[in-house]
Amino acid sequence: MSLDLIRDILIATVPLLVIFPTLFAFTTWLERKALARIQNRVGPNKVGVPLTRYGGRFSLFGLGQPLADGIKMLFKENIVPRDADRLFHLLAPILALIPAMLVLCFLPLEFPWTESLLPVQAFLLDGAVIFFFAITGLNTLAIFMAGWASHNKYSLLGGMRAIAQMISYEIPLVLSAVVVVMMVGSLNAAEIANAQADWNWFVFTPWGLAAFVIFFIASLAEINRSPFDLPEAESEIIAGYFTEYSGFKFALFFLGEYIAMFAISGLAVTLFLGGGAGPGVAALPWLSTVWFIAKIFALIAVMIWLRGTLPRLRVDQLMGFAWKFLLPLSILNIIVAGFAWHAQQQASGILKAIIWVACLLILYATAKGLDQLNRPNVRPREYKYAE
Amino acid sequence: MSLLGGGIFKGMAVTLRNFVGSYFYKDRLTTNDYSWRPSDKLPQRAGEYPKEEGEQLRDTTTVTNYSRNFPMLLHDGSEPMDTIRCVACQICERECPPQCIYIEKSTEKKENAGGKPQFFPATFDIDVSVCMSCQICVEVCPFDAIVMNSQFELSTPDRFGGLLLRRDDLLKSNGYYHKIHPEEATARDKRIAEEKAAKEAKKKAAAEAAKKMAEEKAKAEAEANEGTPDMEENTE
Repeated sequence: MSLDLIRDILIATVPLLVIFPTLFAFTTWLERKALARIQNRVGPNKVGVPLTRYGGRFSLFGLGQPLADGIKMLFKENIVPRDADRLFHLLAPILALIPAMLVLCFLPLEFPWTESLLPVQAFLLDGAVIFFFAITGLNTLAIFMAGWASHNKYSLLGGMRAIAQMISYEIPLVLSAVVVVMMVGSLNAAEIANAQADWNWFVFTPWGLAAFVIFFIASLAEINRSPFDLPEAESEIIAGYFTEYSGFKFALFFLGEYIAMFAISGLAVTLFLGGGAGPGVAALPWLSTVWFIAKIFALIAVMIWLRGTLPRLRVDQLMGFAWKFLLPLSILNIIVAGFAWHAQQQASGILKAIIWVACLLILYATAKGLDQLNRPNVRPREYKYAE
Repeated sequence: MSLLGGGIFKGMAVTLRNFVGSYFYKDRLTTNDYSWRPSDKLPQRAGEYPKEEGEQLRDTTTVTNYSRNFPMLLHDGSEPMDTIRCVACQICERECPPQCIYIEKSTEKKENAGGKPQFFPATFDIDVSVCMSCQICVEVCPFDAIVMNSQFELSTPDRFGGLLLRRDDLLKSNGYYHKIHPEEATARDKRIAEEKAAKEAKKKAAAEAAKKMAEEKAKAEAEANEGTPDMEENTE
């Protein structure tokens, strides 16, 4: 390997390792602020400029909070349970972070300084989308490793829940991405993003909208975000798989979770929201990076909003939702998209509009029908002693 | 036919309203009342939050009509123990899912809100550290004696005794109930009045029926009595 290639790889990857952890710190602050406002609280607002005695006076809306939290996490004691498997207890948080970091390379995120480095850009790989799903799948292993190695019943329960949930939701996640891959005819992330130039975003087509909704819901479950945060349900199993983690190992898990959030949002942006497309990109190419990250943050804002709104699902509801609702709907969506694509090849103008409306109606009617089929049989509570 | 997932959008609208509202209406930020409070201004017992003269802390009347925290016992008049509605039937104690209610029945009867001599709770404790605010005790109570309070300033440095609400802490007047949950209290009072009226009407009807029956019986007996002499003759 030549020195030039190593230099190129460093220039292409190091910014990812710097930008996204920085954004992670900002996102934790954003999330705490937004959740607080939703609950009519103020949120972190006391920590200001770090390491100065005037920090409190110039509090900058509490923007120093992530840094203070980071320093605190670094210096906290690392507690490992006596019966824990020490090796795997150590490896689990690292393994949770690595795949999340790795898949960032598969996002068609072009930085101005990497323009000349096309040969080392991972998103130009012909199977980038497949690689993305393959590598995020490793996250399940890390979580179960954490649950198993901790030698704690709550950790194990959390790990088991995580496996059941992540494997179930991976299927609708991949099947909804299949629609876009079919339409573009490529697994190359850059080609998928380019196919959506000039506002031809897939989210504006009926099948694309359905796929986007399924993808977004499944990705919430895949990264253990509320309302699918059963593996770490505080009220049920303490903290789930990271019950026995403290200090920096916990921080690594936390970082991995947020980086996974960026990665999966980035994939959603690539597949459905036009990648880096947006006004002004033609004139100023570096704007595409800004648009890409702005779109990621728009999705993350919705995730935070949903976290402030929805209560946690029950385990049976969670599994039922994946297998009885999302899976049939995403399979139907593939069929609908296939027919619609073929019909569109021959048709144009008014016929195209009719096909779109028909697709929308079929998909909505199916979703509604599945919803009706899966309605639980709820009876009023029966009292034993009162009449 | 409702929109699929419409409930989620409704919920999101509520949270959005709170999010935006908190930037425009300072009185929404309730927790600001409690930040940086000196230690001598901390509560000693649940529900006893010391307030300074003229201090505008929120009380239970300023929260929404539909908020609920922990149960309270109702009494109708000015003297709580003379007009308590609870008759210590212990249905709520048995029905309570987390088993946080403890009742001891009195040994002798005493006149209560209904005007009849009834048992009353000698002890009625609710451990609010255990209570899960499910309102099942309210639903099962046949005497409308227990309803939900919306008092929320319950923090206390004593986690055992301070969080165990005694009977006298729990007793609140019906007027207070009307103040915190006006609609619910009015509906409840209306229902109680209707039930009472229906009961009285039924009683009246039953009394009339009994009277009528007695008259008929007397008539029949009289008729029978008229016939008996003949029978006696026949037997002879």
